[in-house]
Amino acid sequence: MIMSLRRWRIYLTPERILSICFIGLLAYLVVIPLFMMIHETFIVHPLERFQIPGSKVNDFTLAHWYRFFVSDSAYTFFYRPLLNTLIISFGLSILALLIGGGLAWLVVRTDLPFKATISNWAVVPYILPSWTLALAWISLFKNDRIGGERGIFFALTGFETPDWFAYGLFPITITLALHYFPFAFLLIGGALRNIDAQLEESASLVGASRLAIIRRITIPLILPSIMAAFLLSFARGLGTFGTPAFLGGPVREFVLSTSLYGNLIGQRPGLGYLAALVMILIGMLVLYMDHKMVGARRSFVTVSGKGSRLSLIQLGRWRWVTTSLVVLFLFSVIAVPLVALAIDTVMLIPGIYAWDNLTLHYWIGEASYSIGLGTGEAGILQNSQILMALKNTFTLAFVVALVTGLMGVLVGYAIVKRRGTFIAKTLDQMSFLPYLIPSIALGATLLAMFAVPRGPIPSLHGSFLLLVIVCSVSALPYAVKAGISAMRQIGDEIEEAALMVGASWWLRMRKIIVPIQKSTYFAGMLLPFISVTRELSLVILLVTPTNQLATTISLLFTDRGWYPYTNGIVFLLTIVVVGCTVLSRRVMGTSLAKGLGG
Amino acid sequence: MPDIVLDNVSKSFTKQTHAVENLSLTIPDGSFTTLLGPSGCGKTTTLRMIAGLDLPTAGEITIGGTVVFSEKSGAFVHPSKRNLGLVFQSYALWPHLTVKENIIFGLEINSVDKPEVRARLEKVATALRLDSLLDRYTNELSGGQQQRVAIARVLIMEPSVLLLDEPLSNLDATLRMEMRAELKRLHRETGATIIYVTHDQLEALTMSTHIALLSAGELQQFAAPLEIYEKPTNQFAADFLGSPRINFVTASLTSDSLVWGGLKIALPGPVNVNAPQEVLLGLRAEELRLDRVAQKDALVGRILTVLPTGADWFYQVEVAGQVLTIRHNDSVPFSYDDSVYVQPRPSSLKVFDDLGRAIL
Repeated sequence: MIMSLRRWRIYLTPERILSICFIGLLAYLVVIPLFMMIHETFIVHPLERFQIPGSKVNDFTLAHWYRFFVSDSAYTFFYRPLLNTLIISFGLSILALLIGGGLAWLVVRTDLPFKATISNWAVVPYILPSWTLALAWISLFKNDRIGGERGIFFALTGFETPDWFAYGLFPITITLALHYFPFAFLLIGGALRNIDAQLEESASLVGASRLAIIRRITIPLILPSIMAAFLLSFARGLGTFGTPAFLGGPVREFVLSTSLYGNLIGQRPGLGYLAALVMILIGMLVLYMDHKMVGARRSFVTVSGKGSRLSLIQLGRWRWVTTSLVVLFLFSVIAVPLVALAIDTVMLIPGIYAWDNLTLHYWIGEASYSIGLGTGEAGILQNSQILMALKNTFTLAFVVALVTGLMGVLVGYAIVKRRGTFIAKTLDQMSFLPYLIPSIALGATLLAMFAVPRGPIPSLHGSFLLLVIVCSVSALPYAVKAGISAMRQIGDEIEEAALMVGASWWLRMRKIIVPIQKSTYFAGMLLPFISVTRELSLVILLVTPTNQLATTISLLFTDRGWYPYTNGIVFLLTIVVVGCTVLSRRVMGTSLAKGLGG
Repeated sequence: MPDIVLDNVSKSFTKQTHAVENLSLTIPDGSFTTLLGPSGCGKTTTLRMIAGLDLPTAGEITIGGTVVFSEKSGAFVHPSKRNLGLVFQSYALWPHLTVKENIIFGLEINSVDKPEVRARLEKVATALRLDSLLDRYTNELSGGQQQRVAIARVLIMEPSVLLLDEPLSNLDATLRMEMRAELKRLHRETGATIIYVTHDQLEALTMSTHIALLSAGELQQFAAPLEIYEKPTNQFAADFLGSPRINFVTASLTSDSLVWGGLKIALPGPVNVNAPQEVLLGLRAEELRLDRVAQKDALVGRILTVLPTGADWFYQVEVAGQVLTIRHNDSVPFSYDDSVYVQPRPSSLKVFDDLGRAIL
């Protein structure tokens, strides 16, 4: 007995203990909720017992599945939103590829000037909240469909925008593409940069034309990155909520995420959970394809990495034309939206762009039912509800950054130390799982798990803790990725050298591992901080009136048509997020671009 | 005092493959013992098991009479309590600490008094000529300097056993020569037992008092360097040591002689064989003589390639349908296509049966 206890002590290393603990924790927070959610699609919820004759709450039922997939209303509930979702995701991915890929090619392979600046600015659209552009689109192109006032475009030109242009699939696709193109820019740019010039030069030595080289050498080499960028944008577009809610709502065009939200928050939770299930399946399918098609081939882009300098293509007389176009493009996807949002916050009566209509009422005014929109809400900087929401947002972002940062360090450590073993592979895959789940659906699974008390765990619905959990789980794949790469760079021997002189595990972590990789770990925490600050899809199902966040409260104001408040809040968030990014770059030398991408 | 005894030690990472199999070895106190073998032979794994960083799957390890690991009894002594120091192949210097902080880290976390730390630091810094580098960060040092810091960091703990894992493999050729001499001096001055891992047979031959030759996780031979060179116990040992590689020729063994290509080589004593037996005879480059003029007891050959190294002339010579590498330094050098007479002059007979075991 004593003998076997002694033996256990030898094998009970910190990395083994950590692995087991985290596998348990992830099973509890990710795997079990998935099954709880599937369970929810088969039971009768309180509000549904009137829709399903003769049923009691919690009865087993197939009614949701029937209604969602087969019944007469299946088209409205499922097929139409599914079709819309697929159209938007395909459209935005292709558009994002064209924009991001084109920009990457210009920056890497031509003699375009100001490359560093352009590269920095090209990532900004992704840093902004994804629905900033949607709001800006409304500010610019609003027509009279959703109430009297029209947008800035009408004020400038006098043209009324048609419905298909102002709302629905078209603007959703465009604005999401403009948000997600940095994925393609970073991934394809990285691949292009890694191509060994000798590969192209040897083709040109045997007489291949420039076009033939691009077609037969360059594109096949970067194909894995193109595929990765496509599938990543596709999967992200699938789970996004804000943009389709803002731009699709007014014309009653639904996608899976908005249909999920409408049903789950409304009278038909069963259907909402089914929509979440479908989204998860599509998300997994897409990333499985990514793994199958790209994963195996991705390697050859990196092996050729050390390559010699590529010769740059001379743009010649097109150089300045191209530069102007690129600058104009970046200006119109970054500056124009922000300016449009800002303008709308200082117009007392929306839609009237005149000097005497200028006001700071929506920023610092007292609550009033007669001034401007007459909302009865105080200006943003005076409004206790909004300030509370902002405080919640930053508290949440800070806590989540700490939690995921810590988990990233520990999980990364456990995985790298035990690499090659079954346990490490399991942990690696489990921590990657949240990445496969579209964010609004991840919110749905945790709602299914924690909305009611289960065993010793009380209901967490409406608690700050639940928000921390969902955001941490969602950011975990990035944090673990950072943790793994940090540990890989360190290597085992660095730690073993400290172990040999008798440093305990805690001492080794504190004095050796964390100090060496502090900037990588910091970058791993910055990303969760930023993404939580602008997160809407993930938390929309989980907030309650008592724990509003800046993003969810802005949705609330949008629903009431109070755009100046929404725009002001988004404007504030944008400044904070961009500020954080710039600051961290100055202080720690970390680049956000490193943490993005697949 | 601290003989290191490995008793039937095995280590497998997966169920099918063994990194080390049934290794039994006694490393004498004060020796400079080299674990030598091609990559993947289990030498680093053996070193890590002695250090306590890897756990054997079977067997027992004793250091100076204390059982530090036993699969049977479950005994385990923590690496830091084994009184040994390990210099890693990558040096594993901590990049966020200065040279001085790197060296005294171990003393500090073991709460050694300040004056003691200062005294010991001064001693190792002088011994390893690091005095002027103490405040630098390790990435500001050359490879050789990093190497010395790694050794200093270990020596300051005053271990009775020093483990070195391919310490010279990251250095360039000239620096490697220098460090070899330095390590030998260190061995003499500290009197510590050194266990040294390398795949470089020349390093092993020049530095060690003992060589443990490993292949595929199994011990091939454990002896003094020249003994392995002169009396390899198997074909692998004969082949692995020595540069250029040993020549193997087919010969037939009778009770009183070896016959190679019609040439008779006398045996030191009679052996017990009934019928002539086909064997492999190992002949090192310096055990063959070349002549321009006809000799009796010589085979006729032809020069294929001339390979001068400055100090030595090596020739590839076609003899009896085989290509042999031969060292020949006296007289005027031969040229391509010269006809030569080749005589075997073995200093010891290295004869192997068809299983590669040494006979005689």
